[in-house]
Amino acid sequence: MSIQEHYRSRAKELLSAGTVKMVIGYGAGSTPDRRRPVFITSPDEADRLVLDTTCRTNLSGYLLREGLLSDQKQVAVFLTVDGIRSLNVLAAESQLDTSQVLVFGFGIEGDQARAIEGERAADFKSVIAAAKEQRKSQPADELQEKLEAMTPKERFSFWEGEFSRCIKCYACRQACPMCWCRRCVVDNNQPQWVNTSSHTLGNLEWNLLRAFHLAGRCVECGNCSRACPADIPLHLLNRRMADEVQASFDHYPGMDEAQEPVLASFRKDDPETFIL
Amino acid sequence: MATLLYSANLNDCIARWREEGLMVFGPATTGGVSGFQEVKDAGSLDLDLILTRSTLKELFFPRTEPMLGYRIGKQQIETEEFRPPEGRRIIFGVRPCDAAGMQVDDALFDWDYHDEYWFRRRDSSVIVSIACTHADDFCMCTSLNLSPDSTKGSDVLLRPLLAGNGWQVEALTERGENALASISSLLKEGGDPTAPVADVPVKFDLEACRSWLADPENFESRFWKEISERCIGCGSCTYLCPTCHCFDIQDEGDTYKGIRRKNWDSCSFSLFTMHTSGHNPRATQSARWRQRIMHKFNYFSLKFNVNSCTGCGRCTRECPVDMGVTETLQAISTLQR
Repeated sequence: MSIQEHYRSRAKELLSAGTVKMVIGYGAGSTPDRRRPVFITSPDEADRLVLDTTCRTNLSGYLLREGLLSDQKQVAVFLTVDGIRSLNVLAAESQLDTSQVLVFGFGIEGDQARAIEGERAADFKSVIAAAKEQRKSQPADELQEKLEAMTPKERFSFWEGEFSRCIKCYACRQACPMCWCRRCVVDNNQPQWVNTSSHTLGNLEWNLLRAFHLAGRCVECGNCSRACPADIPLHLLNRRMADEVQASFDHYPGMDEAQEPVLASFRKDDPETFIL
Repeated sequence: MATLLYSANLNDCIARWREEGLMVFGPATTGGVSGFQEVKDAGSLDLDLILTRSTLKELFFPRTEPMLGYRIGKQQIETEEFRPPEGRRIIFGVRPCDAAGMQVDDALFDWDYHDEYWFRRRDSSVIVSIACTHADDFCMCTSLNLSPDSTKGSDVLLRPLLAGNGWQVEALTERGENALASISSLLKEGGDPTAPVADVPVKFDLEACRSWLADPENFESRFWKEISERCIGCGSCTYLCPTCHCFDIQDEGDTYKGIRRKNWDSCSFSLFTMHTSGHNPRATQSARWRQRIMHKFNYFSLKFNVNSCTGCGRCTRECPVDMGVTETLQAISTLQR
């Protein structure tokens, strides 16, 4: 049985038994090569679920839809390892209760989608630990290496150029499962903390503010870069922050739901190399 | 005999226009993202694109634009009015859907208030469009009563020659004629056959949609929630749309000096309709998506007798979760009445 068939029949089973009220997964999109999030609530609709290598969007953010989990019922969701990590971060930040979430885990290897064993966030500990180890040995991509080799001045002007295309549509924020604030700082207009204008300063403020806000929280799912209509490689900013956090604190966000957020916790042996 | 412009002469045309002090804009790509940019030669133009990622509207309605500056001193208050640049411009290689979109925006910006920021730029620009010989899955101009060779909103329409070596030229306005006059020696007479226009299938029944939308019974339909369930509420569809024109006026600065700016805004954002009381009449994303569709195909067409959509398809092409106007109207056309 293909992984798609496997999860379709599991979805049918869970929905028929009333174990879950909804399955959040992927379905066919507007063109043959597109996939889209679908919300399946009856067993008959489970055949709409699709799972293949084009299913890239991290769907965990949909779990935070207002009211979705407020009735204590369970929801199943298709998640990759990144997605499961974001689920853990959301739980650690008190945004959801993982006991209400059933995971349809999958990974993409080459030209195939493969199931990952487990059904509860806690079942994936070893998979996440392996991903953490793998990240350490993962080579940087070409653009990231180029950025590292730049002088701070060159790097600043690179990002200034990239941000100049930002149109302030906030697709990066909306696509990001970690951007769960009901009210974003840029939507606070009394006082207006951050310029809403899409000029050099406003674009720099927004994009750097978001990158800092994600330090130690980003699971590098890539939703931001995929959503950006201006093709700004936002994931590289977040990846750089993640490198820092992993190197300084050995912190890999989303290990489990008990993991303390790195920037909201204190240990006596935290390095303080940045304090002069 | 038709008037022809051969591709080999385009560079000289651009040089001629530039000699006359005109800025020349056209589709070009930087940083992997295409849009309308000032070009110095024909080689910088990207005329094979079906559509640029960003729209023509950016040349008339920038993402952010200063309107007014102030500086408060001990003895006096100084104010400064910012005006759009005066320079005349040729915008070459526009697609007919984008050109038609600018006419839609003209209606809005000349309604209860004549928006000088929009019209100064509009009045000093010549739009030279090129009929489409290619389309993609997202193009839907024909569903909006337009076509790949629509003349709406253009000053000149170029029809690609079958041989691919130039265009047949048609002036549509006086402004267009003037722009052609300055390159007249570079235009030839001839009877070269033109390429067929792109095949863009009609995707929905616009009139059926309009009558459904106009029925107040459907305002609270479950349909809105179902169709917009996956919408994440980003503004990319509105910002990439040629006819979306909402803006916000923001003051940036402090008590002593600052600038008042006109910035893009989007009905997709929760803050868009937030009242000072904290109440939001469009509290959910489905209400915001409904507003977007209603505005484009019901309110706007009732008020201005034109749909606020020209079928460019960018809303769907770039949507991170594969939403779009096409699918919504397709679904509406098939709803039970």
